Formats: sequence, C-alpha cells, structure tokens
Amino acid sequence: MLLWAARRVVVSLVLIWTVATVVFTVIHLVPGDPAELLLSSGGVAPDPAAVAELRERLGLDRPFLVQYGDFLSRLARGDLGTSMIDDHPIMDEVLLRLPRTLELIAAGAVLAVMIGIPVGTEAALRRGTVFDRATSATAALLLAVPIFVVGTLLVLVFAQWLRWMPAGGYVPLARDPWQHLTLLTMPALAIAKGLVAVVFRMTRAAVLDSLSRDFVRTARAKGLSPARILVHHVVRNAIIPVLTVLALHMGTLLGGTVLVEYVFNWPGLSTPLLKAVEARDYPMVIGIVLTISVLFVALNLVMDLVYAALDPRIRHA
Amino acid sequence: MRRLAVPGALVAAIVLIALAAPLLDLPDPVRQDVARRLSGPGPGSPLGRDEFGRDVLSRLIWGARASLTVAFASAGIACALGTLLGLLGGWFRGLGELLALRSMDIVLCFPPILLALLVVTLLGPGTATLILVLSILFLPGFVRVTYAEVLSARSHDYVEAVRALGAGPLRILLVTVLPNVAGPILVQLSLAVAAAVVLESGLSFLGLGVVPPEPSWGLMIRGARATMAQAPLLLLWPCAALTVTILAMNLLCDALRDWVDPRTAAAVRLRAIDRVLPGLLPPPRSDAVLKVEGLTVEIDTPAGVIRPVEDVSLAVGPGETVAIVGESGSGKSLTAAAVMGLLPPAARVAAGAAWFDGVDLLRLHETALRQLRGNAIAMVFQDPMSSLNPVHRTGDQVAEAILAHRPITAAAARREAVALFRRVGIADPERRSRAFPHEMSGGMRQRVMIAIAIANKPRLLIADEPTTALDVTVQAQILDLLADLRRETGMAVVFITHNLGLVAEIADRVVVMYAGQVVEQGDTASVFARPLHPYTRALLAAVPEGEAKPEAIPGTVPPPHALPPGCRFAPRCPHAAPACAAGVPPLAPQEGRHVRCVRLDVMRGETASA
Repeated sequence: MLLWAARRVVVSLVLIWTVATVVFTVIHLVPGDPAELLLSSGGVAPDPAAVAELRERLGLDRPFLVQYGDFLSRLARGDLGTSMIDDHPIMDEVLLRLPRTLELIAAGAVLAVMIGIPVGTEAALRRGTVFDRATSATAALLLAVPIFVVGTLLVLVFAQWLRWMPAGGYVPLARDPWQHLTLLTMPALAIAKGLVAVVFRMTRAAVLDSLSRDFVRTARAKGLSPARILVHHVVRNAIIPVLTVLALHMGTLLGGTVLVEYVFNWPGLSTPLLKAVEARDYPMVIGIVLTISVLFVALNLVMDLVYAALDPRIRHA
Repeated sequence: MRRLAVPGALVAAIVLIALAAPLLDLPDPVRQDVARRLSGPGPGSPLGRDEFGRDVLSRLIWGARASLTVAFASAGIACALGTLLGLLGGWFRGLGELLALRSMDIVLCFPPILLALLVVTLLGPGTATLILVLSILFLPGFVRVTYAEVLSARSHDYVEAVRALGAGPLRILLVTVLPNVAGPILVQLSLAVAAAVVLESGLSFLGLGVVPPEPSWGLMIRGARATMAQAPLLLLWPCAALTVTILAMNLLCDALRDWVDPRTAAAVRLRAIDRVLPGLLPPPRSDAVLKVEGLTVEIDTPAGVIRPVEDVSLAVGPGETVAIVGESGSGKSLTAAAVMGLLPPAARVAAGAAWFDGVDLLRLHETALRQLRGNAIAMVFQDPMSSLNPVHRTGDQVAEAILAHRPITAAAARREAVALFRRVGIADPERRSRAFPHEMSGGMRQRVMIAIAIANKPRLLIADEPTTALDVTVQAQILDLLADLRRETGMAVVFITHNLGLVAEIADRVVVMYAGQVVEQGDTASVFARPLHPYTRALLAAVPEGEAKPEAIPGTVPPPHALPPGCRFAPRCPHAAPACAAGVPPLAPQEGRHVRCVRLDVMRGETASA
C-alpha cells in the first residue's frame, strides 16, 4: 500500500514537471517572442529598442536551455516570477486567491455528492417510476445548460427579481460568516450543477449494477435487512465508480470556476488570470495555469488514494 | 432507432437554420440602431433589439452559425487527425504508439478551459484560435477511442484472415478496420461537437472567443448581463437557444451510443410480482423439511410469457440430501431461487407452494422470509468470487450473517466467525478472517461461503452448483466438507448440479429436470442402477467413467419460448416415436419413483436386456 502510494506520488510529480515543461516550451515556440507580442498592438510593429530592453529585463535574450533551467529551479523554490504589468510577485497573488477558489470547488463537490448520491440511489431503487424519469430528465437538462448560463440565470432570478441575495461579491469568513456563506451559495450551486447530474447518473447506474451482483444475492440469502444491504453492499460498492467519475470531472470543475468566479465576481484565481490573458502578461498566465494544473494533478492523486482505501483490490494492482 | 429521431430532427433543424441564414432575408446582425436600443418585439424585429439596437432574432441565427462553424470545424479536424493517429499508433505499435498516446496524456493534464486560455494568450482571441484550441482539446478522445478499437480489431479473426491473404497494412486499415471503428468514432464526434458548443460559448462569454461585433450566443449573454434588470428577455433568448441546442446534441449522443453499443441500452422492466390467492390449501402433513408442490415460474419477455420452471414438485426429509440434476437451462437454479424468494425481478411465481415448517415460503411476507433466510434456510452459490463482496473482509462477511439473526456483540460474532473458519477447514483462521476475497483461492472462498451458510445452524441448506467453478481436487474437498457438516448437524441439503457423477457420491435421492420439468425422480441407487427416462440415461452416459469414453448428448436444451409440442426431450431422444409428439407426457409413478415418458415399456425392456 505504502509503496503503491509512493509510486502514485512520483507519477504525479513527473506529470507536473511535464506540464511545466510544455507550458514553458509552448510560450517560447510561438512565432515572435513574448516581448514582441506584448509590445505590438493594432498591427503596428513595436520599437526594436523597447523590445530589446524588455527582452533583457525578462531574460529572454539568454539561451533557451539556460532560461529553462532557471525557470525550473525557481519553480522548485516556489517562485513563480513577477507580473510583467506591475512587477508584483505572482506567488503572493496565488497564495491570496487560491484558498477562495479551493473553497468554491470544495463547496461544489460537497453539494454534488450530498445531492447526487442519495437521489441517484433512490432513482435506481425506483427505476421506471415517475420519480426516476423526472430526476433523469432533470439531470439531462442540468448537463445541457452551460455553467455560465446557470450562473447568469441565478443572478437574474435571486438577485434581480427576488432580491434574496446580492448578485455577487466576497466577504472574508472571519469578518462576517453569515454574509460569507450567503455570497458562497449561488457560486457553489452553479459549480455543482453539472457535477450533481454526473454524480446522479453514475450513482444510478452503479447502484443498478450492484443490485444485480451475486454478492447482493448472498446478502439477501443471509437474511440481512434491506437497509443494511443497501448501505453496506449496494452503495458501498457503487461509491467506487462514482468516485472515479468525480475524479475525471475535476478538470471540468476547475474550468468551471473560471466562468463562475467571473459571473459572481468571486475574487479567486480567475480574475487575475483573465486580466493577464487580455493583457498578455505571460508570467502571470503561466503562474496561474501551472498552479491550477498542479491542483488538478493533486486532486487526481487524492482521488486515487481515496479510491484505494475504498477498494482493497486496487492496492495490489 | 426511435430514440434517434427526435433529437436528430432537432439538431438537423438547428443546423439547417444556421446554414440558411444568408437566405432568410434577416436584418444585418451587426448594424447598430442606438435610437431603438432595447426596444421590445415589433415589426421587423420579432424578438426585439439589443443594447446597441441590433436585431435579436437575426443575431441568434447568425450566432448559431458562428457556434456551429467552430464546433463542426474543430470536431472534424480533431476527428480526422485523431483517427489517423489512433489507427497508426494501434497498428504499428512501438515508437508511433508511444508518441501518439503519451503526447495526448499531456493535453489531458490541463483543465480544458485553461488550455484554451493559454492558447488565447499566445494567439489572441478569434474564430481561428477557437478552432485550433478545440481541435487540440478533442484530439485525445479520438486517438484513444480509435487506438482501443484498433487493438481489439487486430485480434479479431476477420482481420487475421485478411492479413493471411496478404493484404497490406494500409488496405487492411482502410477497408477492414476503419468500418468497424466507425461506430465509436461517430459517437465521439457527436460528443466533441456538443462539447465544442459549450466551450465556444463559455470563451465568448468571457470575451475571449468570437470577437465582437460578430454575433455569438456566448457574446449575446455577456452583453445582456449588463441590462438584465431592464430587459431580462435579451438574456433568456440566447440562454434558451444554447440550452436547447446542447440538450438536443446530448440526447443525440446518448441515442447514438446506445445504437452503436446495444449492451448499454438494455433495460429491465419491473413488474409487481403477482401472487396467486394465498392460503387456499392447508399445509400438507408430512415430516419433510421442505416440500415443493407444483411450482411454476413465469418470466415476461418481449416474445411473450415463458415458463422456465413448470409444475415442479419435490420433497426433502430431515437430514436427507436431494440432488436436482439437469443441463443449463433446465430450470434447477430458478427452482431454488423461487424457494428462497430470490428470483430476479423479471421472474415471478405463477403457481405452487413450498412448505417449510408449516408455512408456504412462496406466499410468506418478505420480512418473515428474511428472518428465515441465512438462518433456518441457507444457500451456497456457484461462483464464490462474485458472491462475496470484494470490498469487505471475509471474516466480517461471516460475522454479518451471524449478527443479522442473533443479538450478540460484534466482537463475539467475529470470534464465532473465526471458529467457523476453523470448522470449514481454513488453516490459520485468525489471519484468514482478515483477508479480502481476492486474496484467497477459489476453494478457500467457497469455504467462506459455506461458513456464512452454516453460521446460524440451518435446517435446510440449498447448494446451487457449489463446486462447478472449482477444479477437480478442490471439488472433492468441498463435497467432503458438505457431507461432514450434514452428518454432524443433521441438516437437510438440496444439491443442485449438472454433473450426475457427483450425485452418486452425495445424494440420497435425485430429481432430474429437463426444460423446466421434472422428468424422473427416485432414490439415487435405483435411478443409477436402472435409469428409466432416456434423458437420465443420456446424462449418465455423459459422465466420464474409467476407460469408457463419455457420450455427449446431441443438441441443446430448447429455449423456453420454443418448446416442442409433446415430450420436450423428444427432438434429442434416440428412442423418440410419433407418440412422443402427441402431448406432454404425465409424470407417472413407476417402480417407487416418478418418470415422465410415454415409451416406458420400450425403455424398461432395453434396460433389462442391457
């Protein structure tokens, strides 16, 4: 088990290194270097002297491999460089905003699991009934509505028409817990919307599959109560594929935060990211993209470990 | 096919409207008319005008064109390139395989929208960038699907055959393999188009996709956000268009997938189990532990109602072992499942009774039945691997059975489980009880199943092919264990098997079933000495014994929806005569047993002379 976990951690580190290398290489492979791109606007050729100066400031005039080595060693020390726009250290920005993005993701995932698993189980047990069809149709609809549409409509209904809560914003938990949670509600719902549908569908399918397994027949032959069969044998086994799917959708979830933070004005990582993309602030874009990719890989790693804890067969594979 | 029609038509309509946009005589979608900004529906603009006075309907339709162009172009490029890479990687293996697949893994390391943002930073927003980004994002899906399909196609006989005929790799790939991978690729393509619409609108919504003033649904939602208080409809139109389009595409994907891969579409229809009038007959007075009378099981199929078990009667006395024998499809396992109340949802008891302790198991309420199951009546199943729950320790699974019926502490139950492990002959029971099923051998697992079954000292044990999944030496050990346990506890045993050879070793009496009916039953010694039914005789001849070569029975058991009119065994019977087709023969008492054959005189004569 320990060896297996260690191997997974090493694989994750290799993945992170690959991502960093790819990002670094791609930036340097595009025609024209970042300095030129940054200074050129509206098709006007930039002033060569200004380009040269910026290149020197960014260290772009050094050989590729030297830059790459420098990039990696700084990365290993947790230094993401400084913004090209205001020279602010990128790591500070990331550390300030990352917890807020993580909070959104956690809230969304918890909501999705808390709604998706019970409703999916119930739908499987009542398959073919009106309840089953209604919930399945709702899931199909939720999957079809893009996340920013849900967000925008939530704002329209709850902030504009009903005036139950502000359209967006952020208050630190320490300052006003109630207001913090109120402001978290709509973004979390929007983040959770697709995941609820995915968890629901997978739970329903996995519970149906579990129900027809021989070990459930054994459990019934033992004379166990339906509740015990459901919790210990059906759902316990159905959870495993549900978790796999959750892990697979982490990417969508992380991508979703970009749109949701924008819609609800939630000051997570995506605000500086979008600003940096528009301003072509390369170091900032690289820094944030790397952070989120590392997060992505890390979340997958955590999922794998949880998965192994739940399914004893994995640990020996 | 029917499920394809509605979403297919909807998607086709949306695509057609978008294609026909230039022919529809719509107002210019980018011409501003600030004087009439935010004006409601009116002549010339049925859906009103937006914040710059542009016609909303026109922008919706031209916006569809923008979205679909990006979606189809990117999905098409990804499909062509990805299929090619997958084909080459799967066919040539080696370095090509490595490059094609590993490079795709890198793409999968990024959350999709982030990769898109990265590329937009480099190339600037615009339709061309969008198409490039989305093609990169969808590439891995196509490569993987094609690669997996090629690998499985490679090993198929028809590919081997074409190869043996000397066809070149290119020809094989294009003519033989590609048509076979077309289905999954089509599904992948439809998924990619739907996902592209979502991503395109999302990026445009962020202002990083389609460049204004070009119309796009994402941009329209972005614009309408500012004025949602005054003109909420402006927001709702593009939201509705986007949602309906994606919903139709998703439904089309689902229908396509089911069509390409029918396995996922299989759905079992639930039916309430019909029960015949309960308690009409008094319980029979007999000393039998279990007495089954006239049991009939029905299943509704698309082809009509079938009866896999018909009018089956049998009795098991205390301490007696009764074997039910027959080929697969004879209805022996369903008989046992019906007695235990463990029939699959599609099957129901149509008639009959199963008396146990003065109660009819077939009419017993589920709660009462549950108290008997695993307690007074226990069951051992065929495949111990799938019958044990893979995620729980084996000792806990035994303890669970004890705790379900007796009010003792969990620790006491666990100690008892260890004792049971020792009793069923598992060495090192303390350690073994902490093992998971996958850490045990097949024979060991079946011992665990037996430990679960005997945990509450049942009076009746039903063993459904308990040794079929095991190899021969282990088979013998398990049979010995069952015989020992029976001697010790005095429990009655119903032993279901297709192997008549085992019956002689273990059973006092034998019930031979064929195509849902009992064809012969009697005590083991006399049935073996003088089988009366031709099927019993054929089964005996099929048992390998000494030097004699076993004789296989020609043909197979007829499926329950295509039974012959008279005797069900007649089509495979070497003694069949015209009389056999006249009607189903009755199960008649003969020489202290029961036989279902109209040509008994001939049979008896043959046995005598043999």
